[in-house]
Amino acid sequence: MKNKAALIFGYNDYALEIAKNIQDEYSHIYIFSLHSEEDILKNKSDFEIKSFDLSDKWDYISENIDLENSIAFSVLEDIAENIFLTISLRSSFETLNIIALSNNKETADKLLMAGANKVIPLVQTTAEMISEMMEKPIVKEVFHKILFESGELKISQVKINSSNSYLGKTLSEIDWKVKYGVIVLALVLEDMNSEFIYSSKIKNHIISEGDIFIIVGYETDIIEFEKIIGSRINVHWSHWSR
Amino acid sequence: MGFFSRLIVNLAYFINTSDAYQRKKRFFYDILENNRYPYKKYFDIFMMTLIFLSVAILIAEVKSEVDENIEFFNTYVISIIFFIEYILRFWISSSVTELIINRSEHAAMLGRKFSLWRAILKIIKVKLNFVFSIRAIIDLLAVLPFFHELRLLRLFVLFRVFKLFRYTTSFQTFVSVLSTKKFEFLILLMFSSIVISVSSVLIYVMEANNPNSPINTMFEAIYWSIVTISTVGYGDITPYTSEGRVVAMFVITAGIAVLAFTTSIVVSALTEKLDEIREIKTIDDIRKLKSFYLICGYENVAQEVAQKLKDSPIGIIVLDEDSKRIENAKKDGLVALNYDPGNMRSYKKIGIDLSTQVKAVLCLRESDVENVYTTLTIRSINKDVNIISLLMDDGNRKKLNFAGVNEILYPKGLVGIISKELIGRPVAFEVIHALRNDYYGVNIEEILVDNRMIENTMYVSELNNSRYRVILLGIYKKNKNRFFFNPLDSTILESGDYLLVIGNSVFIKEFEKYLHKKIRT
Repeated sequence: MKNKAALIFGYNDYALEIAKNIQDEYSHIYIFSLHSEEDILKNKSDFEIKSFDLSDKWDYISENIDLENSIAFSVLEDIAENIFLTISLRSSFETLNIIALSNNKETADKLLMAGANKVIPLVQTTAEMISEMMEKPIVKEVFHKILFESGELKISQVKINSSNSYLGKTLSEIDWKVKYGVIVLALVLEDMNSEFIYSSKIKNHIISEGDIFIIVGYETDIIEFEKIIGSRINVHWSHWSR
Repeated sequence: MGFFSRLIVNLAYFINTSDAYQRKKRFFYDILENNRYPYKKYFDIFMMTLIFLSVAILIAEVKSEVDENIEFFNTYVISIIFFIEYILRFWISSSVTELIINRSEHAAMLGRKFSLWRAILKIIKVKLNFVFSIRAIIDLLAVLPFFHELRLLRLFVLFRVFKLFRYTTSFQTFVSVLSTKKFEFLILLMFSSIVISVSSVLIYVMEANNPNSPINTMFEAIYWSIVTISTVGYGDITPYTSEGRVVAMFVITAGIAVLAFTTSIVVSALTEKLDEIREIKTIDDIRKLKSFYLICGYENVAQEVAQKLKDSPIGIIVLDEDSKRIENAKKDGLVALNYDPGNMRSYKKIGIDLSTQVKAVLCLRESDVENVYTTLTIRSINKDVNIISLLMDDGNRKKLNFAGVNEILYPKGLVGIISKELIGRPVAFEVIHALRNDYYGVNIEEILVDNRMIENTMYVSELNNSRYRVILLGIYKKNKNRFFFNPLDSTILESGDYLLVIGNSVFIKEFEKYLHKKIRT
């Protein structure tokens, strides 16, 4: 049987942090190392370390992993190797979701060209947070709570389903803020893949089936809202490749 | 110790500890010598005006009669002002009382007898040092036109021009730049004086006895060789004999060398010192800044942070010990100084006031050792300034905290949480990422609720934000120190609260303007 798994390439602090954070979502986490012998000796974490090289021999993965639902992280510290790895993975597995770590804009572009679905722009994100701390401390605090911490405030994606009394109405007509206690930040239209429209711009958008709403609210309110409006969805990863 | 010496020492102690005396001395020191004293500028301008006036009067005097009053002003008033200045400088150049006290304490410590004569000798030596310094001599000569009856002494007015050096710092930097090439100038001087003396003797020997030659005296010979070696070559005196012309050829060749040498010395001195001069200018500018972020270390993260903070009204100063990284920072259009942020002397030299000028210190070296070191240095100077630091290895978190960092950012940990976010809610993550970066023209802003605003707007329901197509995400209540998401219409606004709003940047600006202008109806 093929497993749904998270494949992390590179054995380093990044890999361990990722593994720690996603272990609830994925039952199988494999860390692949270029220098497996020493790393296995050093390994103090609970995660399994496998070896790999950059020579396109991915027999293990193609035999054991359910590629559609798995995810790969390339977090090698050498940039060139990381790009090479991404290309190699993409050329072998067309449907695999690859998230790559980049340290600057240039590598980010190269990684996307190499076929990564998503790039984590580490330096930019860190810089963003620092500058936000300086200029907009409250915004930073609130975002951090919404995104990363297990606070009461949550952000969620809700898809509109067909049996819905709001279909055909415009956004400005409905006051969900008061009724359900949630704020619509943005929405993704069904025919557009990775464009957001912020709700401040779409006063007159007519709600139709398949729209995805990005809402912020308290956990309980969000669950309530989902029951009425549609279903919480996990957008499929392939939609996010550019 | 004799009665007389004891009296002198007591007097010295009395004067040295007198507040009024020290205050006065301090004031005169500030106005004469301290470049950072704000009112020195006006004193300098005043003195420069006097100098230009007296030069103008000197020129006017040559061909026409000058009014008696002006004459009086020039000779007496200006001279007396200059004399007073000279006396004041003489006074503040060193402290007599301190010298006596030091001497007597020194003697007491060693158990020797205090010798008044020795102390006086020492005082005279120190004061003479001042009197014979070039600046003091120029100052004194500038006073001399006071005795204007001596015709020649009038020309000493020109010494007043030299005094200009005192009042303009750019002249001083120029002189200090040239003085770094003392050795080269000495060689040049020796070379040219040898050439001049040899050639003038030679030309005198060759030409003085020839009746057709214009060179008849040694003075004319020296004049000729100086005019020739400087490549000026008036041509009023030219060698007549062939031997003389051979000498001329040598002098002309030597002249080219002298000229080239002089130019190259000045140019090289200037280029070598150009960076230093620029740095002095930058430091001057920094001292005038009211508020800025201090970025210590200019690596990847720092570059991005600087880009993001660039548009903020608060300035950015970059410090790094590595000159290459400083070059990069300068290329990115930042104010950057090549000083070690982990060295206490750097802050003194630049004159940064950590408590009033610096809004936050960002330790952004990608090395925990450096960041801890910088933090400790800054903490040892100032206890309160806000310090934010990067953390590269989670094992060092404690050390940074102990050093006194207010906030820590751990990029590796960030990767973990971002990946979790990307797996669970990729779209939501994208939305917030885009919001933060203003990708679609939509932005999130904090609006401070001030007294004026609450005069007209008491409740959240009165904000009217939907009219401006602005979404109110929530309110940060200052007194409760808590963020209230999606506040009820009946929530009361108080001064010091912050509104978090999302919307098109232009609309947010309009909304903010409206809140300030609104009149309660």
